[in-house]
Amino acid sequence: MRMLPLRLASLAIIGFPAITCFDIATGLEHWPFGSYPMYSLRYAERLSWLRLYGLTDRGEIPLRDERDFAPFDEARLIVALQRLQSARGGNQKLDEALRNLMRLYNRGEARRLPVGAPLRALRLYAVSWDLRPGLQGSEPPTERILIAQATAAEAER
Amino acid sequence: MSPPTRSKLTRYWERYWFTPDTAEQLALVRVVTYTLLFAIYLPLDDRGWTQVSPVFWVPISAFHFLSGPPRNAVLIGVLQILWKTSLLTSAIGFLSRLSMAAAAALGFFLLGLPNCFGKIHHLDGFPVLLLGILALSRCADALSVDRTLRRGREIQSGVSAQYRWPVRLAQTLFLLVFFAAGLAKLRNGGLAWMTAANMRSIWLAELFTHTPPTQLGSFLAQSPWLSQFAAVATVIVELSALPALFVRRLRILVLVGLLGLQALIALMLGVYFTPHLVGYALFVPWERMRRAT
Repeated sequence: MRMLPLRLASLAIIGFPAITCFDIATGLEHWPFGSYPMYSLRYAERLSWLRLYGLTDRGEIPLRDERDFAPFDEARLIVALQRLQSARGGNQKLDEALRNLMRLYNRGEARRLPVGAPLRALRLYAVSWDLRPGLQGSEPPTERILIAQATAAEAER
Repeated sequence: MSPPTRSKLTRYWERYWFTPDTAEQLALVRVVTYTLLFAIYLPLDDRGWTQVSPVFWVPISAFHFLSGPPRNAVLIGVLQILWKTSLLTSAIGFLSRLSMAAAAALGFFLLGLPNCFGKIHHLDGFPVLLLGILALSRCADALSVDRTLRRGREIQSGVSAQYRWPVRLAQTLFLLVFFAAGLAKLRNGGLAWMTAANMRSIWLAELFTHTPPTQLGSFLAQSPWLSQFAAVATVIVELSALPALFVRRLRILVLVGLLGLQALIALMLGVYFTPHLVGYALFVPWERMRRAT
């Protein structure tokens, strides 16, 4: 190899792994490098999570479809809401987030067929389950606490 | 360090990174990588993020330079078309330098953007690194439209060290991803991460937080022995990715284990590491297979 390509190659060979190892050692994230900490925490035997419910004329329905709040997927959305919940001024931020989510839902709903029941409100609950063998994933939460809600009128404002 | 030791290390370093390889092997990696990435990311549509409230905006890395979330859906749409086109033109080796630079830069932006809205998904980081490495390499020296246009016909480009290091570097980063995941489990969860109770809780929790395509997690969670085995095996396979960098025989075993692990994660947890297919493809001897056929 000639000198210039060799130097460029050596720079890449040292640079890429060096940043990777730095992130691994420190647990920091420098996109697109990372420390890959997914599922690395110990899980408790009680799951605490957030869940969005839509209020319709027929009552509340859980909203878990991947298309409900596109471009968010459920995992990203719930973690983002948890972050807002624990942030300074969390209540105001959650209210704004729910209004935006309701607009995203309505926008997606307008494109879907058959059109579902219109939402009168969007509610965010803290939910929990006791994780014991035999669960199927369809069980209702053992505990449910209302955190925030946005009405259709508020979302349109 | 004594001179003999240093020269041994130097030789090992040179053998690891710069063992001469053919232009065709690297070119085939290029073709497979860009074609796979095009197929995997064809449905990607980032325009929806322009409708998301700034309250969700938590910029990562270079995205701090943006004043806020992008608001122009048309611009994002155009960038997406350019990116997907650049993946295709990189695959066929047309306007190679420009195509591969565009694929890396636009991939950095378009795959990074969703991670600025509350959570970093670790699916897309490696493909972006791979795009960056290929953009720095001479992977279009063979089997490319550019080459054909320049010479009038496809020619062999010989054997050189410059065709080896890009694949070796990408393989190294790919295996480090898994080593990092294994190490994070021990650092953040401790040895208790490898207990049956923890594994069972992960499987059961995902039934409520994700949408797994099967009930395999629910079924396996009923067996403490299987849960225990899975917890220990996960950490061992992930940590083995580091020695697998240097031990060829171990490498195949570890790669099979990691692929199996990611297949089970998809079935049990509903988390799909599809973009990592390009990482596994790096270890396939494409040129040998091509010659064999």
